[in-house]
This record gives sequence, structure tokens and C-alpha cells, in this order.
Amino acid sequence: MKKRGILAVFACLFFLASCQEAGPDLTGMVPGEEERLVVYTSHKEEVYGPIIKEFEDRTGLWVEVVTGGSNELLERIAAEADEPGCDVMFGGGVESLQLYEDCFEPYAGPGSELLKPGLRQSGDRWTPFSSLPVVLIYNTRLVSQGEMVSWAGLLEERWRGKIAFADPAVSGSSYTAAITMLSCLEGDIWENLARFEENLDGNILEDSGDVVTAVDVGSCWVGITLEETALKRLGQGANIALVYPREGTSALPDGTALVAGARHRDNAVEFLDFVQSQDVQALVVSDFARRSVRSDVHDREELPGEEEIGIIDYDVAWASGIKEEFLARWEAGKGGVS
Amino acid sequence: MRRTVRSPIRSSFQKKLMSAFLMVGVLPLLVCVLLILNVFRFSLQSSSEANAESQLKAMTAGLGERLEACGQVLETLGGNRSVGAALENRAGRDTRIYNALYDTAAPLLRDADFSLYDREGELLYTTGSGGVERLEVNWGLLFAAREEGDVVCRDISPYDGVAGGGLRLARVITRGDQVAGYAVAQVGQEQLERLFEGKYPAGSDVLVLNPRWNEVYASPTLQDEGLAARLRGRLLDGIPLAQAGEGYTYHVLEEEGSGFWLALRQPQPLADWVLRLFYLAVGVSLLLCVLVCLRASVSFSRQLFRPIRSLNNAMAAVEGGELGVRVEVHGTDEIGQLSGRFNRMSQRLKENLEESIRQQQELGEAQIRMMQAQLNPHFLYNTLDTLKWLGKIHQAPEVSVIAADLADILRQSISAGEFDTLGEELGLLERYVEIQRLRFPGKFEYETRVEGELLDALVPKLMLQPLVENAIIHGFEDGSHGYIRLSARQRGGELELTVEDDGCGMSRESMERFLARREPESGRHYGLYNVDAILRLHYGPDSGLRFLPPEGGKGTCIRVCLPIRRREEEGL
Repeated sequence: MKKRGILAVFACLFFLASCQEAGPDLTGMVPGEEERLVVYTSHKEEVYGPIIKEFEDRTGLWVEVVTGGSNELLERIAAEADEPGCDVMFGGGVESLQLYEDCFEPYAGPGSELLKPGLRQSGDRWTPFSSLPVVLIYNTRLVSQGEMVSWAGLLEERWRGKIAFADPAVSGSSYTAAITMLSCLEGDIWENLARFEENLDGNILEDSGDVVTAVDVGSCWVGITLEETALKRLGQGANIALVYPREGTSALPDGTALVAGARHRDNAVEFLDFVQSQDVQALVVSDFARRSVRSDVHDREELPGEEEIGIIDYDVAWASGIKEEFLARWEAGKGGVS
Repeated sequence: MRRTVRSPIRSSFQKKLMSAFLMVGVLPLLVCVLLILNVFRFSLQSSSEANAESQLKAMTAGLGERLEACGQVLETLGGNRSVGAALENRAGRDTRIYNALYDTAAPLLRDADFSLYDREGELLYTTGSGGVERLEVNWGLLFAAREEGDVVCRDISPYDGVAGGGLRLARVITRGDQVAGYAVAQVGQEQLERLFEGKYPAGSDVLVLNPRWNEVYASPTLQDEGLAARLRGRLLDGIPLAQAGEGYTYHVLEEEGSGFWLALRQPQPLADWVLRLFYLAVGVSLLLCVLVCLRASVSFSRQLFRPIRSLNNAMAAVEGGELGVRVEVHGTDEIGQLSGRFNRMSQRLKENLEESIRQQQELGEAQIRMMQAQLNPHFLYNTLDTLKWLGKIHQAPEVSVIAADLADILRQSISAGEFDTLGEELGLLERYVEIQRLRFPGKFEYETRVEGELLDALVPKLMLQPLVENAIIHGFEDGSHGYIRLSARQRGGELELTVEDDGCGMSRESMERFLARREPESGRHYGLYNVDAILRLHYGPDSGLRFLPPEGGKGTCIRVCLPIRRREEEGL
């Protein structure tokens, strides 16, 4: 009995000591689940920032953004499959999205009818956001116009060691570029790969972002990169010029996907529709130096049209299928050179 | 051996004392200190909270009024026909339009920049210097203005390339059903700074947040760039805005008109280091208090324990039979009184023991005397029997009667047991009186008055005979005729035996000697003395012979009061 009394006294003291200020009462201010949306994005802030802000302003929803590399985020989505923390995966090349298509719920919004041909995924597991053609670039001081016009030109002896190319084992876009090149070249693809690798002469860049820099500063003369990256750097005054290869090129989109079992599915659907809406697609063209996926949004006038470029039919499934063999041969070729 | 006696007492004493001291010393201190601290903190906090709330309210009201006023200007511009016409025609640099713009915006020229955009979002007129040349019409502010058809308020997007952020209000201007253009008011970083200047205390910071808690404006003193994002994250996670260890408190209030939020960040009224110092001081004083309590309890218990230990030792000695021990008495407190009592108690114990030893000795002596008296009783008895037969043979009946009576007396007196019934005793007395009658014929009369139910009451053996003998031998010495009466009656559960005579009574000297319990002179009243001693031994020191004033003032009256006991009760 006495012990209980002492305990009670100590409990009182503890209560007194621990009585902390609560601060402003957040009850009623915390947005409810129906007002929320969680977006994982691999886009840079300059891309997702304006879109998310406008989405918030138009819908009044609270968007929580988680940023990261596309593979990292996709792995996280796969890991969270039982209890998804994410509603929308915004960004990521379609090749990556394809690998994780089981994590996504098929969805086709009202904009899907207006998509440019060939961009809509057959299963609607993801919706395209922007189309990203692979281009060649060259340093305007070191290479004169017309010297580099085709994929085949990259196999010529005179570019040996002067080609800026990121490691396809590391960069997804570099792998897409390599497969695009191999698809466009005539002859056996593995032979062509070996010749190309030989022509690189061991000069393989770590990051796809380094390609434009290498060409711009002149450490490499020509390079392979995405049109978006090249245009952006060009806008910043880089010493480069774009070449759309004569044989044609691929224009793979990046996508947006609705996570299966999303907690805020309705809001996620709204976001998917918004991203494909005309307003956003117009912004994709005007502000992001990208090509729209909608047929009713016109690309920049100064850019050649898609028919002009000659967009090839890029088989995503086939490309993922041979990736393992490709990488094995790539590593072997690298070893042979060095 | 000493240690084992000593340690349990002291340890329990000390423990009890210590917990009592701690209870009395530490607990009130702790409670007081914590109460004071919390009252202090609470009052500081509530006053600073009240301050912050009122400042925040004032700032929010200021912002609301400013936005309201800007909205009014935009409304007026929207209703201006010439403005509408000029925008429709996309005509710039018209002084009349500038006049209208400046006139309408006159009271707010320093507080906001007003601009007019055409329907494509191209800037035509502005009161400011840094107006944005082109605004998207299908995006952001102008889109919202067109959709709403009313004045809308948006934060300047960080992706618009306007330094410092701020707010924009816009209203669509229509000509007929067509959109002619847009009137836009911009409240930039500097203007917001002027609006809030002096309305919050130094050291605090102000944030303006949009309805989704994205940063719109931060006061220039705020160095912490990610604060708005962190607050937003905490709100979304539903955790308190103020986190321990940061040292700030936050207050937020919504501006109802625009849905924008104002957040005021204040340093905590009681800084962490002050609290830590306070806790340290409390800790040190508590420690001090505990030490003092410990010290006091130890010395107190020692002081208490010393006399208790000596008492304890003394008691152990008494337990061991050593009754002579005495405890030293210090002071007059309870321990002193206890020591005194102990001393007196052991003294009494000693006296009692001595008394009982003395009584034992006396009893032993009486038994020895009795045993000596029993020496060769059979020889005496046989001799008396022989005498009786000789008396009968020689025709001397008196001799044979005396011998028979004497033999009976002898037999009864040597029989085992210390008690006889009153009836047996009376029978023996009859024998004795018969002998005495033969010795002194006609000299006395003897009478008994005994209640019948008392006959089986137990009395000490040979108790009555000495009393009657005393009356016969000493009462009638002068040869006069006497009367002896023995009465036995029950009074209040006691047997009251009285032996009276009307003889000459006891001499004064004998009486005094008897009352002083001195041994009588040889041969005189020896029987009385013995009876008295036996009675005292059997029934306690208060139950001896009593001398009553005789009836008629002559003779002797002796009374004995005994508890009534019977054989069956005694189990004999």
C-alpha cells in the first residue's frame, strides 16, 4: 500500500517534469488521405517541379514527392508491392518500366486516344510522358558539317577514341542508344558491336550526362546522347550540333505509371490524366526541350518532324531480351581492348 | 556474538530513519522545484504564445487587407472600358491607359506592381520595373484567372525565374464574351518584407506558405532554406511542427481570403541551456539533500542506538540470569525512562527471587521439623496401645481413654498430607478436649458450632488443636472456670473459623511479640506462632491469625479465614 503511494507520487513528478509544450494544434490542418498523392519521380526538379505545383494548384491536392534514380525507385516500388507507399511512378524509360510492369495497374486515360502512333503500350501498364529521340552530336569547331551523318560513320577509323559514349552497363539511355545503333546498322549486330567497341578504344564515360560535356570541351569529337539533353545544353551555349542519323533513330518515351494497389488511386488517376493533358504536353515542348507524346501538340518548329527523322520501330521486349548477352559481349570487348 | 545482536537493530533503524528523512527532505524539494519550474515555464510559454498569436493575427490581417486592396484595384481595372479596349487591340504605350492604371493603383503603388497583359499573355502596361514580359495563358496564374473568372491569388512559382518569390493576383478582363487580357498585381519579396516589417520581434522569422504549404516568402533573416519543406513534411506526417532540440516554437495561421498561411517561428522562451542549467542545479541540490539526509540518519540512529544497545545487552544479561546488572541512565527522555524502568524491574525481580528462596528454605525447615516429629511414631503408637490395654486390665478407664485418644491424635498427626477435612480436624479436636477434660475436670466447657456443609472443607492439618490448646493452657491459668467455643461458618466463599474463650486473654507483651512475628519465648504461644506461619505459607502473607476483640471484653478471640476447598476439587 505504502509502495503504491510512493509510486503514485513519482508518477506525478514524472508527469510534472515531462509536461511539454504542445505547440500549435495541427488537428484539422493535417490533410486527409483523400487529399493526398505520393509520387516517386526520377525526373529532375526542373521537370517535375512546375508540373507538380500546377497540379496542386488546380486540384488542391497535397503531393508528396520522393526523388531518386529510376532503377532505385522501381526497386523500391517492387519491394513495397504488398503495401505500396507510392501512388504514381513519374519518369523512367519505358525499358525500365517494362521490367517492373507487374507492379503497375493498367490505365488508359482520355488522352490515350490522341497519342502518337507506336507510343501506347499494349497493356497500358504505363502511359508515355515525352518522346526522347537518340541523336548524334559533334563539336562544331572540330568537326565540319556533313562529316558525321550516320550510325555507320561511327564505325569509321577516323573517330577512333574520339567518340563520347556512356557505359551501357551503367546508363539505361546509353543501352537504348547502343541497341538503336545496332538495329540501324546492316550486318550482324554482334560484329557491329565489336567494331564499335574497338572504335571507342576504351574511352567509355561513366555517366550519360558526361557525353555532351566531353564533346563540348573537345575531349571527344562526336557523341551519342538524347535529343533533350543535347538541346538543353545547346540552349546553354554549348559548342555542339545535333545530327539525326541517316539510317533513322529510335524515339523511346519515358512514362508515368499507376502503382498497383495505390492508396490514393483516384488522385493518381487524376495525375496521370493531367500529365498527358494538352497543357502539360505543351509545357513539355516549350520548357523542357522534349517532344510531346500527343498528336495534337506540335513540337518545336525548328526541330525536324518525326517522319523526317525516320523513327525506327524499337522492340522493347527484344531489347530487354538480349541485354544479358549484350552486356556479356560488351564486357568481353572492353577487356580485349584494355 | 555482539555483532549479530547489534547489526539487525541498527540496519533496520537506519533504513527506516533514512527513508523517513528522504521522504521528508527530498520529496517536498523535488515537488516544489518541479512545480516552480513548470509554473515558470508555463507562464513564460503562455505569454510568448499569446504574443505570437496576436502578432501573427496582425500580420495575417495585414496580408489579407493588402490582397483585398489589390483585388479591388484589379476589379476596378477589369471594369474600365478603355482598358478593355486597349487590351483587345493589344495596343501598348497609350498614356491614357497608363493614367487609368496609375490612378486606380495610386494608394498601392509602393505596395504592389500592377500590370496589364493581353490575351496571349504579353505584357503591355506595368507600374513596376521588373514585370515579367510574358505569362503562360494555359498554365498557372492566367489559366486559373480565366477558369475562375474572378480575382485569383497564386504564389510566384520558383520555376518562373523571379527572384525571391512572392504573390500574384490576376483577374481576367473581358470584352463581350471574349478574353481581352489580364490585370495582374504582383506583391514581390521586397513588398512583403515591408508589409511585415516591425510586426514581429527580432529573432523570430516569418514564412508565407501557399495553401499546400509550399514556401512563398521567407523573411530575410531566415537562413534556414529548407524550413518550409520541413514544416510541410511534418504536417503531412501529422507530427508536431516544433521538434525537440531545435529550440523553436511555431505558430501558424491561415489567411482566409487567399488560403495562404503565415508561419511565425520563435526561439523557445526558455532556451535549452537555461533548462539544462536549471536541471543541473536541481540535481546538485537534490544530491546535497540526499547526502545530508544520509548523514543525519546515520548520526541520529547512532545516537538512538547507543542507549538501546546497552539496554539490549543488559536484557541479555538478565536473560542469562545475571540480575545484578544496571543500566546507566542518561537524561529524562523516553530512553532514559526506559532505562530507569529496566533498573527498577530487575531490582524487583531480584527481590522476588530472594523472597521465594527464603520461603523455600522456611518450608524446608518446617518439613524437617515435621519429619523429626514423626520419628518412631509406630513405637509411640504401639506403646500407647499397650497403655490403653493396661488401663483396661487394671480397671483404670481414664488411662485407657487417654491412651486411645492420644493414639488417635498421634495417628492422625503422622498421616501423610498437609490437609484434612474440617470434620476430621474436629474429630481430632474432640479427642484432645477429652484428654484435657480428664486432666482438668470441670474446668472448662467446650462447644462447637459448625455449619454442616463445611465439614468436608479442607483445612491445614492440626491447625485447630493449637488454638484450642492455647485457650485451655493459657486462658484458664488462674484456675477459673472457662468457656471455649469453636465456630465455623461460610462467609462470602470463605471459611471463617473462630476460636473464642472467656479466659484471661493474651498478655500484652505476648501479643506484641506475636504481631511483630518474632519467635515466642520458649513454650509460650508456640502453637499459635506455628499455625500462623503455616497459614501464611499456604495462603499468602496476608492470611495469618487475626485477633478480634473478645465478646464481653474478656478472653481471646482468634479468627482464621480460608478459601473453601474440597478434596474432589483438589483432585486429592
